[in-house]
Amino acid sequence: MLIRDSSGGGPALPELHKRLRWLALFGIGMFLLLIGRLWQLQVMRGDSYYQRTVSNVVKERYLPSVRGKILDHKGQPLADNRPAFNIYATPKTLTDETRAELARMLGLSDDELVKLAERLEVGKKRDAKNPVLILEDQGRDRAALVEQARAHLPGIEVRHEPYRYYPQGELAAHLIGYMTQMTSDEVVEKQGYDTSELVGRYGLEAAWENYLRGKKGEERFAVDARGVRLDDKTAASLISGERVIEAVPGANLVLTIDADLQRLAEKAISHVPAAAVVIVEAKTGRLLAVVSKPSFDPNVMTGHLTRAEETLLLSDPRKPFIDKAVRATYPPGSVFKFVTALAALEDGQAAEDESLTCTGEYELAGTTFKCNATHGKLDLLGAIQHSCNIYFWKLAERIGLDRIAQVATEYGFGLPTHLGLNGDAAGRIPTKKSYEEHGRYKIGYATNAATGQGDVEVTVLQMAMAYAALGNGGSLFVPQVVDRVEASDGHTIIAYQPKLARQIRTPLDALDTWRRGMWKVTNEPGGTAYDHAKFDLVPIMGKTGTAEIKTHHNKAEDERDLDGWHPTRSHSWFAGWTPAEDPEIAIVVFVEHGGSGGRIAWPIAKQILEGYYTKIHPLPAPPAGPAGDGAGSAAPPKAGAPR
Amino acid sequence: MKGTGLELPRATIGVSRWRRFRAAVDWPLILTVLAICGIGLLNLYSATRGTKHHAKFDKQLGYMVVGMVGFAIATIIDYRALVRVAWVGLGIAIFLLLVVRVLGVGVKGSNRWIDIGIVPIQPSELAKLMVILALARMFQDAEPSHYTPRQLLIRLAVLGLPIGLIAIQPDLGTAMLLALMVLTVGYLAMPSVRPMAYLTVAANFAIPVLWETMHDYQKNRILAFIDPSADPTGNGWHTRQSIFAVGSGKIWGKGFGGGTQNQFDFLPEHWTDFPYSVWAEEWGFAGSLVLLLIFGFLLVWILNVALSARDRVGAVICVGVAAMTFWHVVVNVMMVLGLAPVVGVTLPFISYGGSSLVTFFLAMGLVANVSLRKHGY
Repeated sequence: MLIRDSSGGGPALPELHKRLRWLALFGIGMFLLLIGRLWQLQVMRGDSYYQRTVSNVVKERYLPSVRGKILDHKGQPLADNRPAFNIYATPKTLTDETRAELARMLGLSDDELVKLAERLEVGKKRDAKNPVLILEDQGRDRAALVEQARAHLPGIEVRHEPYRYYPQGELAAHLIGYMTQMTSDEVVEKQGYDTSELVGRYGLEAAWENYLRGKKGEERFAVDARGVRLDDKTAASLISGERVIEAVPGANLVLTIDADLQRLAEKAISHVPAAAVVIVEAKTGRLLAVVSKPSFDPNVMTGHLTRAEETLLLSDPRKPFIDKAVRATYPPGSVFKFVTALAALEDGQAAEDESLTCTGEYELAGTTFKCNATHGKLDLLGAIQHSCNIYFWKLAERIGLDRIAQVATEYGFGLPTHLGLNGDAAGRIPTKKSYEEHGRYKIGYATNAATGQGDVEVTVLQMAMAYAALGNGGSLFVPQVVDRVEASDGHTIIAYQPKLARQIRTPLDALDTWRRGMWKVTNEPGGTAYDHAKFDLVPIMGKTGTAEIKTHHNKAEDERDLDGWHPTRSHSWFAGWTPAEDPEIAIVVFVEHGGSGGRIAWPIAKQILEGYYTKIHPLPAPPAGPAGDGAGSAAPPKAGAPR
Repeated sequence: MKGTGLELPRATIGVSRWRRFRAAVDWPLILTVLAICGIGLLNLYSATRGTKHHAKFDKQLGYMVVGMVGFAIATIIDYRALVRVAWVGLGIAIFLLLVVRVLGVGVKGSNRWIDIGIVPIQPSELAKLMVILALARMFQDAEPSHYTPRQLLIRLAVLGLPIGLIAIQPDLGTAMLLALMVLTVGYLAMPSVRPMAYLTVAANFAIPVLWETMHDYQKNRILAFIDPSADPTGNGWHTRQSIFAVGSGKIWGKGFGGGTQNQFDFLPEHWTDFPYSVWAEEWGFAGSLVLLLIFGFLLVWILNVALSARDRVGAVICVGVAAMTFWHVVVNVMMVLGLAPVVGVTLPFISYGGSSLVTFFLAMGLVANVSLRKHGY
């Protein structure tokens, strides 16, 4: 027999008995190791692993909010939303083959491919399972192509979403602004934004982003390991709290701008290469039109700008992306002379009937300055009418630079207007001290400043606000472009009232003197404006300016083949208001390198005003009124007369 | 009764045969095994219901019935008769392993299965049982000086043959498991532990050699184990997701059917290698501990049978089954807890799959066999 029983009384396997203690030690040791690990994973780190598994399953998706509209004063939409097809890709599931297939199918351009790659990269960094917008606002045919081939394009989806658009195209482009997609850095900085989102970049779109944007909703849902969405019942059992938080639509902005007037103004400058126009309600500071040219199409800027177009825009010497009404500063030339005149009148250093002689040349500290003509003997009103420089140089010598700077500052120059848009510039008003800091002060600086030359730089908007103040009797307003903010259901959330920046201290009789001079400019033969064009619908007051520029030659700019662009020419200004005695609107027209103010800027202003009084704000049928029979019957204003 | 070798204690004469049989059957062993099977079914039901894998529950029930029949057969045939033909049995297992080399059905790049018409079987599972019997045969009458080192080495070499064949299938997990079984039984049944110590050292030296012969996917799994975050969506995926699942169960678990990791496929094929992960997610530390303690009790009970066995053969069989069970549990749970690479070692009675289930039922049948006959002669 092979098998022998060893059960002779002792244990069957004595070795096991002997080693039982070691066995127990080893077995218990191994089990304790397992239990210890369980304790570590489940008890010590349980909460963090629990979070991990929740985030494995529960995903969040933003529900886009509909952006608020931007409307003009009469309710015309300047920025709106329309339905569009957006193509999204999920970086995790998108393979290189699918990407290539998509590119082939849609015939994507190099630009689009670069954009696509960049956005996928950003998305991957953030959350590779979250779809990112790769191609926005696609045509119906492209959307249909992708929709049909969805089975072959895993990770790609088409969504039908509202998209920003600007029904008026380039109209008021600088004011309205545009939007672009978030960069990866911004996504990290700003909370609550999605990688795929557009954000306001310029103009009102940027400055009023918080109101326009609304509040995004959020949807939480559950997915399995492949990212496939689970049904609602399962989701409800996994997700505590609200699963859908509805989006809140953005608020609408109702502007003070009149789109028709804006269009009219833009049309009036169509023949010049670069210009700016500001039209403001003289007694409220509410802006009716703000034009900057050259412009851009916000529809293109918002997601459709190709690299070639961008390069072209950026290399344009006229700098289309700088708001010439608000941001850029220019020497004002003779439209600035009111500062010198008012300062001298207030100080008793000038009188309306004081006659001085213009010989066409003026010698000062060894240098000879030239006037625009030889005016001979003229009084202050004549000097304003003919824009005689020598008269104002003489006044400047009497009052000094700092007095000019003081009055200029009072009228808002050298300070930002607080429009709160496109980085409204302060400009520059030199003082004696500012020169002494960088060298030596010379009397020539004062005479330069007196005629709005030298180092004086202002914005077109500042000039408009200052002329509104001159016209309305001394109230300098903060320019206002947003009339009210409305909720999407139409009720007003905030209504803005006109805001006074300051009441000017200039005595009214000094103001009257200046205004009588302005009257002559636009209404009497010899006036720098009157000689070039006559406006007779309503009484008007204005002042022209031809601001010489510091000759700096940029060869590349000079050689640029741009029609009518002469970067060595003077800037052309016109500033004024209508009606003369009881101003309703103030207008400033600025033509960059346009040349003579009377010849270039003034006729543009005249054209705009004619449009305004015939189409925008038609005059009542003439009751045998003075406006009808021309300039002859219009009398000089007596603004301060009651006193 | 003589033919089966089933002889009842004299004290029971006069009691009906059935009642005598019932009294001799190892009920604690059976109840423990059934408890573990129940947990396994509960777990499988939770993890597969409502998914396209729900049929696995019914199949597993079927395997269990087959397993129980196997248990009965393994209990009734006298183990001494089985051990008598142990070398022949091992020879058949080796033959089948060779057949698998030639005709085997490949799963994921390795040949482990033979299709015998009705169901595919895994000769490596059979080999585990045959190795246990062969070990019993080898140590049946080991007097302190019975084997010369040379004789011992020859026998160990014979035992090494199936291990080698399984390793080149390649099924590293099972091969390693068999090696651990042999070593464990050797440590517990050899008169002197010194040869075993030499063998252990030698086995450790074999590791670098083994590494060189490994397939890339095997190397990658081991590398992924060392640093699961290096390739989180590839080889490290299983380990990472398993750790998340276990950890997320916290103390009391997410409850029956509440495990999001297994329900939503974050842990693919969790029913074979990762059922403990499902259990730990749904029943937490408390449930995980309870299951480990039940396995602990099963092991203690098997060793108890070994200690009270009537002969060396029976004792060694029990030690072999205990070693097999112990290493399956330890390696599988370590795998789930991220303490060992994913090597495809099942959790006894809980992992889904017929081969593993039937093998463990047969193994437990052998223990019941020894237990049943401990009072006889």
